[in-house]
Amino acid sequence: MRTRITRGIIRRAVASVAALGLVATMAACGGGDDEAGGASAAVTAEGTDDGSELTLWTRAPLELQAKALVEAYNKSHKNQVKLTIVPNDDYVAKVGAAAGSGDLPDLFAADIVYVPNWTKAGLFSDMTERIGLLPYADKINQGHVTAGTYEDKKYVLPFVLDLSVMFWNKKLYQEAGLDPEKGPTTLDEYREHALAIQKLNKPDTYGTYFGGNCGGCGVFTWFPMVWASGEEVMDAEGTKSLLDGAAAQKVYATFRQMQEGGAIHPGSKDDTGATWVAAFQEGKIGVMPYPATLLPTAAKTVDVGVGPIPGVSGGASTFLGGDGIGISKDSKKNDQAWNFLAWLTSEAGQVDVLAANDSTVARTDLADNQYSAKDPRVATVNKVAGAPQSKTPFAVNFQQAFNAPGSPWVTLFRNQVYGDAGALANDNAAVSGVLGQ
Amino acid sequence: MAPTSTLVAPPDGAQAPPGTPGSRPRNRMKALAGWAYAAPTALFVLIFFIVPIVLVGRMSVSDWGLFTGNEGINAPENFTDVLDDRLFWPAVWFTVKYTVVTTLILLALALALAMLVQEANRWTGFLRTSFLVPSALGLASASLLFYALYSPQSTPLGFLGIDSFLGTPNAALWSTVALVVWRFAGFYMLLLLVGLQGISGDVYEAARLDGAGRWQTFRYVTLPLLKSSLALCTILCVTGSMLAFDQFYILTKGGPDNSTITIVQLVYNMAFFGQNNLGRAAALSILVLVALLVVNALQFRGLRDKES
Amino acid sequence: MRALLIRTPQHVLAGGLALIFLFPLAWAAVASVSPQGGTAQTDGWGFGNYVTLANYQAGVGQYLVNSTVVSVLTVLFTLAVSVLGGYAFAMFSFPGRNVLFLVTLAILMVPYATLLIPLYVLLNQLGLQNSLVGLALVLTMFQLPFAVFMMRISFEAIPNELREAALIDGCGSFRALLHILVPAVKPGLITVGLFAFLAAWNDFITPLVLISDSDRAPLPLAVANMRQQVMGIVDFGATQAGVVVLAVPCVVLFLALQRHYVRGFMSGALKG
Repeated sequence: MRTRITRGIIRRAVASVAALGLVATMAACGGGDDEAGGASAAVTAEGTDDGSELTLWTRAPLELQAKALVEAYNKSHKNQVKLTIVPNDDYVAKVGAAAGSGDLPDLFAADIVYVPNWTKAGLFSDMTERIGLLPYADKINQGHVTAGTYEDKKYVLPFVLDLSVMFWNKKLYQEAGLDPEKGPTTLDEYREHALAIQKLNKPDTYGTYFGGNCGGCGVFTWFPMVWASGEEVMDAEGTKSLLDGAAAQKVYATFRQMQEGGAIHPGSKDDTGATWVAAFQEGKIGVMPYPATLLPTAAKTVDVGVGPIPGVSGGASTFLGGDGIGISKDSKKNDQAWNFLAWLTSEAGQVDVLAANDSTVARTDLADNQYSAKDPRVATVNKVAGAPQSKTPFAVNFQQAFNAPGSPWVTLFRNQVYGDAGALANDNAAVSGVLGQ
Repeated sequence: MAPTSTLVAPPDGAQAPPGTPGSRPRNRMKALAGWAYAAPTALFVLIFFIVPIVLVGRMSVSDWGLFTGNEGINAPENFTDVLDDRLFWPAVWFTVKYTVVTTLILLALALALAMLVQEANRWTGFLRTSFLVPSALGLASASLLFYALYSPQSTPLGFLGIDSFLGTPNAALWSTVALVVWRFAGFYMLLLLVGLQGISGDVYEAARLDGAGRWQTFRYVTLPLLKSSLALCTILCVTGSMLAFDQFYILTKGGPDNSTITIVQLVYNMAFFGQNNLGRAAALSILVLVALLVVNALQFRGLRDKES
Repeated sequence: MRALLIRTPQHVLAGGLALIFLFPLAWAAVASVSPQGGTAQTDGWGFGNYVTLANYQAGVGQYLVNSTVVSVLTVLFTLAVSVLGGYAFAMFSFPGRNVLFLVTLAILMVPYATLLIPLYVLLNQLGLQNSLVGLALVLTMFQLPFAVFMMRISFEAIPNELREAALIDGCGSFRALLHILVPAVKPGLITVGLFAFLAAWNDFITPLVLISDSDRAPLPLAVANMRQQVMGIVDFGATQAGVVVLAVPCVVLFLALQRHYVRGFMSGALKG
């Protein structure tokens, strides 16, 4: 009895001291600099392959490609990469918790639109010198590299590309008397094609579909229409919205007219992004902008035509989306981590793994390869990835302004399609307000 | 009246209500022994609750970014920023509305279910089990299940003729309330059933002899005697609803048009969606904690006043 | 006969309600094996979605093991702490008793998401990051308000004679607790244990932040991972299969222990 009580008291005393210490240390941690920097002897183009264990985080939607890459790398290298998959919606929380306490993995991928914010926050290590050593440095997808450049230093390379392209259902095109080999090349054609398919009056079949309550989908599918028209969506610093420009207005008008013509699937209005690709896969949609990564899936059930996203009067663009990857600020194995990145951007990583798994290659000089030769649609996608009007938008507050649930951008385009179209100036100012914070 | 029940009646022994000390003589030894037994609880609370709360408090007065960490005290900026947030007042309003709606519906239904299954036989056994089974699911699982149930892609509820379960502010609210009621009605039914079983049959008999009808018996006998069970349910339900997160996070993400953003979702958004500002999120959490303490203190006081 | 006439509509109503309550679960089970576009089971009925789930990443076996370890540890921690705590609150009077009890209950009132970052930092300091034990400790903390409250009222419901007999018996208070009082609060123990298990088994957001290793992730995390694909697209087949796999052990336990936890609630001081 006695001993138990004493023990209890001692334990309590120890615990409270420990707890106080904790508060102190916890408060102190925070902006910690990494002294690990690894003043390595010499930076090389290949990095080090010495059997180290590397950790890599990525979000769940890229599981397929990430797994294929990691498996291929582990098979051919002494270094071993350990992959951790995190649910899409919670990736920021996970990375944030780890970043705050200096606990990030050696390598981690990030949705490319968040990359400017994360590089600015100092989550990645500088790779400028290493990237410069790569013989193909200028052939790497520039949209991703630019997004990962902060104050002239490069922090990020493309991990997996996810492009938006125009998909159309060849069978429905034929039935509607349209040329199944030719998708829309202008916004007006897009509208006419959608309306023509609507006129078939097939049950449950609609001209087009869009994620009507999904900011990320809108960014992914509508921004390229503005770019293809030769205009911009934001200023160069990413602090001011230009989404009230003439081309943008034409985009909204196109969708509004399709809505008024009954050519937009009614499910669009509430779609938060969970089901926005489903109806096309079921063969119920005529034509719509679509993620190129889903070509193999969609091609299983639908005879798909693929083309670039057009602008007001022609043009060809895509949203250079997907994930960038970098070495974290907390990594103590920079040379080994670089070895993985160097391999990732090499032909072995790009063609033998990514292209073989139906992903878009991230190097312009590899756009024509044995896999794209088999399917002209893949070649189309690879080609549009390198097109001059294809971009990755750049803004530090991108997530908050566009992707976040309930962002001002969602309000803007919902008003333009379904609500009060006169609210454009105000809505655009609200987007600028968030961007400029 | 149901003569017997599979539910065992509570023992008749006198008991000290929570909060009042026992009646036996006490001395230092006893106090020490008491502390020794309470020590593990105290340790847990201290390490895993008090210490984190202190840190949250510190965050709330600091410029503390998710990625950048602590950058020094900035009080009271986080609090003023929270109050100025364009979604703050809509979130407060929606949370209160959701709490009131959920609490009323849930408790009324739970009470009705409890009265329905009061007697013990095979049939009510089956009913009880059916109502209770949803309580075995996690709230997140239940939300995922209803997400599929409501999605136009997979819904089996087309026959109801509802265009969209989550597409308009009202539909989203009621669809979420339906989920929460489904998930929790059984649990609250159980708590109220316990209260009902605690009412002695003699009281009902007396009421019957006095010529009270069904409604009168319910109004003047059952309800007053159920008061403490109902109070417990109300406190749990109000607290749970004010902290509602999972169901909205999965079902609506705060949409459509920000109409279903709850306070805790706003906390989560401030920390992890866009703003990435832990200081602001912590400040809002502190406000929520204070609001809940006040609300619960009022409920306790209301309960005590009525009793005296 | 008249009684029957009165009761029939009541039976129909009650039965209908019961069916409504059972419907979502039954539907999930059926839908998870039915053909749907955009899932692993596109034509014909079958277990395609379950096969995907079984082979996901580390494999469903590993996730089940992790979930079981976390849940069992949480149950053990919760029982140990709440039995001692409930005993202290019910039987002893000591300075700070009410404060400690109220602070324990206050755990219920803090937004879950807020505590996770500090807890993450804390577990790192304690060397428990990325470990199932650390996860179980945190989950135990979240269980304490209910568990300590429940055990307290269970001990308080023990008849006085029994309590005093146990103490006068000459054995120390700890032996009295172990040999006489714990058996007397068995329904309460089962209730607390069951709810701790359900909470730990189903929790998703805590392991998300605290566990970084796929090999150590519990099942709900794997289900969440499988659910979402590129651009926020949801795989409903995987979702339904995941919900079913998560629910089955809970429902089985829940039904098997129904009589005990109902009694656990009853034995408490909840009555008017």
